[in-house]
Amino acid sequence: MSRRETSLLPSSDAREAALFFVIGALCFLAALAALTTRGTYKAAEAWGAQIEGDITVVMRDTDRRTAEDAADRVSGLATVFEARVLSRDEVEALLEPSLGPGGMPEGLPVPMLMVVQADAAVGDPSPDIERILNEIGVDGDVAGNAGYADNVRGALGVLRLVALSIVALLSATAIAVIAFATHAALLARRDIVDVLHLSGAEDRYIAGLFERRFWVLALQAGLGGAVAALMVTALIVFSGGGSQGVESQLLPRLSLDFWDIVILLVTPVMAGLAARFAARLAVLASLKETL
Amino acid sequence: MSRFRPDLSDEPAVRLDGVSLSYDRTGEVLSEIDLVLRQGSFTFLTGPSGAGKSSLLKLMYLAHAPSRGNIRLFGRQTFELKRKQLAAMRRRIGVVFQEFRLLNHLTAFENVALPLRVAGQKPDSYSNEVIDLLRWVGLGERVDAPIPSLSGGEQQRVAIARSLINKPDLLIADEPTGNVDPEMGAKIMRLFAELNKRVGTTILIATHDLELIREFEAPVLRLSNGLLVRDVEYGAGA
Repeated sequence: MSRRETSLLPSSDAREAALFFVIGALCFLAALAALTTRGTYKAAEAWGAQIEGDITVVMRDTDRRTAEDAADRVSGLATVFEARVLSRDEVEALLEPSLGPGGMPEGLPVPMLMVVQADAAVGDPSPDIERILNEIGVDGDVAGNAGYADNVRGALGVLRLVALSIVALLSATAIAVIAFATHAALLARRDIVDVLHLSGAEDRYIAGLFERRFWVLALQAGLGGAVAALMVTALIVFSGGGSQGVESQLLPRLSLDFWDIVILLVTPVMAGLAARFAARLAVLASLKETL
Repeated sequence: MSRFRPDLSDEPAVRLDGVSLSYDRTGEVLSEIDLVLRQGSFTFLTGPSGAGKSSLLKLMYLAHAPSRGNIRLFGRQTFELKRKQLAAMRRRIGVVFQEFRLLNHLTAFENVALPLRVAGQKPDSYSNEVIDLLRWVGLGERVDAPIPSLSGGEQQRVAIARSLINKPDLLIADEPTGNVDPEMGAKIMRLFAELNKRVGTTILIATHDLELIREFEAPVLRLSNGLLVRDVEYGAGA
């Protein structure tokens, strides 16, 4: 008669249910923090690129037709996505904080304003724009954002660092709590460790039993946490929270792309490895106390 | 009451030279123990509660290291053994506890097979052996019974079978009849005696049951306040 080997560790009890919940909750938070950090990264990248690519050209003593001609030529530059002259209404809206409501007085000399969207990653088109203005005889100033883009870059760097620090702190906390909880659960199984030890089991054999148990437990709990994080993220994305309005460009851009899925898949594996490692250390340390 | 200094001339199963043990700094629970158990011997260890009987046994079944002194098991110094070798040495020693120390989520069969299983053997290789042993201890009908469904006496016999499955060279029993009725206690002792006589296993039984000791012709070691003394009152062979 062939016999099946029952696990030498009893099936999970209330203590392991609590550990399961703790690991699941921590993985949920860690996965959500990682996704949010990635969203923040993407938002910061996009905002930084936009800031650096925005150029305003002030054209004095120029009629609209000449200004639009200049805009057409600027649009033709390889580094420029778009160039257009602002309408009078748009200029009025810009000046409203200074002149108050009611529109601009007739006869007020208002310069033509051209906004240029350039690809900052390729290069600064300002010298080319100035050349075009000179060629068509327009008296104008090219005002890029390069001056304060450095400050923006610095602020975005700090933002990224903070986001990464939060993820690192949360991950470290998760690993520490998993290790602590695993150790506590092991102490509760001390009687079994003793029996196995006295039965002649080698340290590696005993450690292996607990490693496998906590690896599976943490993997399942981590998967639960990751699925919960996936559902929350999906809810935010599909309810429109992941899209960006002009007013919220620095808010995290949540999405569910390939790398987000990778984060969700890696989270439970990390939890499982942490629990496995913690179990191994705890068992070996516990056995070292004995002969 | 004087210190017992046995003959140390031949190679014994167990030999303790000047062994002391203290768990903390409050004092020694065992002091300067010199002891020899010859191979194939059957010996009782007795003494009042707190005398250090269990501590002495723990040293012998390698659950603790002595604070001072040397322990030789089957001719090997235990302090020289690496952890793997210690595990192998433990497989040569069977231990029976008063409180059984069985794994309640396993069956009688699985508990008895435990020492073979942790040594890497598969059920097909030891199945018949385990069942035969359970029959020998009178549990042939309870092979697949869960531990909680067994009586105290049956659980102790499972523990004895577990201690014997590796065919140990040394069997150490700590109050093996303490949690069973006198009739079952006598049966268990007869099992030990039969094992010693037929297989030649070295047996050391710690007990404070003097009636039990008187029934057997075996030397008796007596512990008192952590010191090993000889007491000639008990046991025909003492």
